[in-house]
Amino acid sequence: MIGKLLEVSNLRTYFYTEAGVVKAVDGMSLDVGKSETVGLVGESGSGKSVTAQSVLRIVPPPGRIVEGSIKFQGADILQKSEEEMRMLRGSKISVIFQDPSSSLNPVYTVERQLTDIITLHQHVSKREAIQTAQSLLTRVGISEPEKRLRAYPHELSGGMKQRVAIARALSCEPSLLLADEPTTSLDVTIQAQVLELLKELQAEYEMSMVMITHDMGIVADLTRRVTVAYAGKVMEVADTRSVFTDPKHPYTEALLKAVPSIRRTRALEVIPGNIPNLIEPPSGCVFHPRCKYAKEICSREVPGLEVVDGGHYVACHLWRELRLEGRVN
Amino acid sequence: MRRNGRRANQWAVAWRRFRKNKSGIIGGAIVLFFIIIAIVGPYLAPYPPRSYAPLYQGDAGQPPSLKHPFGVEESGIDVFSEVIDGTRNDLYVGLAASLLTTLIGIAIGAFAGYFEGLVSEVLLALTQIFFVFPALLLILLFARVFSILVFKGLGLTLIVLILSFFGWSGVSFIVRGETLRVKQMEFVQAARSLGAGSMRILFRHIVPNILSPVIVIATLGIAGFILTEVAVSFLGFGDANTPTWGLLLNEGFPYIRTEWWVSLFPGLAVVLCVLGFNLMGDGLSDALNPRLRE
Repeated sequence: MIGKLLEVSNLRTYFYTEAGVVKAVDGMSLDVGKSETVGLVGESGSGKSVTAQSVLRIVPPPGRIVEGSIKFQGADILQKSEEEMRMLRGSKISVIFQDPSSSLNPVYTVERQLTDIITLHQHVSKREAIQTAQSLLTRVGISEPEKRLRAYPHELSGGMKQRVAIARALSCEPSLLLADEPTTSLDVTIQAQVLELLKELQAEYEMSMVMITHDMGIVADLTRRVTVAYAGKVMEVADTRSVFTDPKHPYTEALLKAVPSIRRTRALEVIPGNIPNLIEPPSGCVFHPRCKYAKEICSREVPGLEVVDGGHYVACHLWRELRLEGRVN
Repeated sequence: MRRNGRRANQWAVAWRRFRKNKSGIIGGAIVLFFIIIAIVGPYLAPYPPRSYAPLYQGDAGQPPSLKHPFGVEESGIDVFSEVIDGTRNDLYVGLAASLLTTLIGIAIGAFAGYFEGLVSEVLLALTQIFFVFPALLLILLFARVFSILVFKGLGLTLIVLILSFFGWSGVSFIVRGETLRVKQMEFVQAARSLGAGSMRILFRHIVPNILSPVIVIATLGIAGFILTEVAVSFLGFGDANTPTWGLLLNEGFPYIRTEWWVSLFPGLAVVLCVLGFNLMGDGLSDALNPRLRE
């Protein structure tokens, strides 16, 4: 485990609502190495975003980190003071959100959005900050940066707004970027451009990236390792290639089958049912009510994370006996 | 969203929308008219405030004439001069009280909406208590007690302070509600995850986003405070040494059957001025929140 930038282990983040305790993240683990892109995959409600919020310690109330440890550059994030966290956010750990039209403040110009964070974390003059902002815009592929600096968010297209959000996230050259579904709200063509940009920037800044997504295509394209999450728990961890060719968890298989394929002509398979009620999660394996391979043991015992082989882990009672179908393309 | 190369700043957009609104523009013109009167008032009024000079000229109780366009009071005060001076004083009360209540309301409402737990509970309870006070009665009581006991010579500023003390809860409610709404938005979370502290988030990210309804309610508030001041002075609880429209109404009331001009002109000024601010406020409301119109 040497050289890990971020180590999340056994994280539990619960929301204490009036209806009951929502176990949004319930035993999540995630390791990110230096300059590595890691995928965090799952349906909506699987606890991906809350994991990211926990890493930044910005879980909104009534949510609370109940258990676990989050180590960033070897230091425990959960032990830091709020002041220390503030220095970390935006400068060492940065975020890109799903919807750029709502993640930029509508009343400020692009210039203000960028210089605000630059002057917050670095001791530079206003003029230097503007210059940095301008070169950032150029770097994220925005033409006429001087003109765009004076624009308000609503004057920009969705793709351009997300580029501004990326520029803002990278303005202090973070060592870790949490990308929370950064392309979900964009057109497909723009998606590809933004992903390409993120890939380039990741290499250029030598930063680590956690790509939070439900899109297996993005996982295949960008990441080297993947954590598959379901109902706030880790289902499977493996390098990206093995996840696609040799999935060990029925949920991973189901996710792969839910992606349309160009080469193979087959019907898309949907995963029956919905994500479970997180106030009273199913007994045993949380996935068992939707799992087509489920046996009696699955509803009785919670499966532990077992080692398949070096670096490949799975939380399933049946992984030894199942012959699951991966995807070759 | 850009036309003729102009920037589509939200205020520019709102101004373009406001300009198309006839009643809003009329209200704005009336307001501007009163503001000009208030500024040039001292040069315009033939007599100084509370001057009995016409009495010595034998004009006491005279109806409107060329010399005294709005007539003269029984006591010898020139109504035209007093209405002009009243404009200045009533606008002062309206603007100052509205500004003060807006500031108090933003501060309390923003904190009550942004923070969770005891702080917000206490601030909300405070707002609710002030909201249900029988404000006018308390204002009258405070105006009488304070003007006798403590703050002699504070004049209209005392009225401003009392009005503000009892008048901020409406703004506070709106600001709290808007803060609750805006704080859920993603850009607030973005600001937080990029290292902004609570105060920075609250006053640089949230408050600027809720200014449109606040501007509207502050404009309507000016009209409200002018009316309240008129009521206070009319009932004889105001400052008797400073000419205000309410004071004139108070002085004219005993002679309303015979010397109608003493009451009519300040009354018209009140109606016109309040109408102006209300029309302008409605116009601003349409311009700043066009979605509310449907």
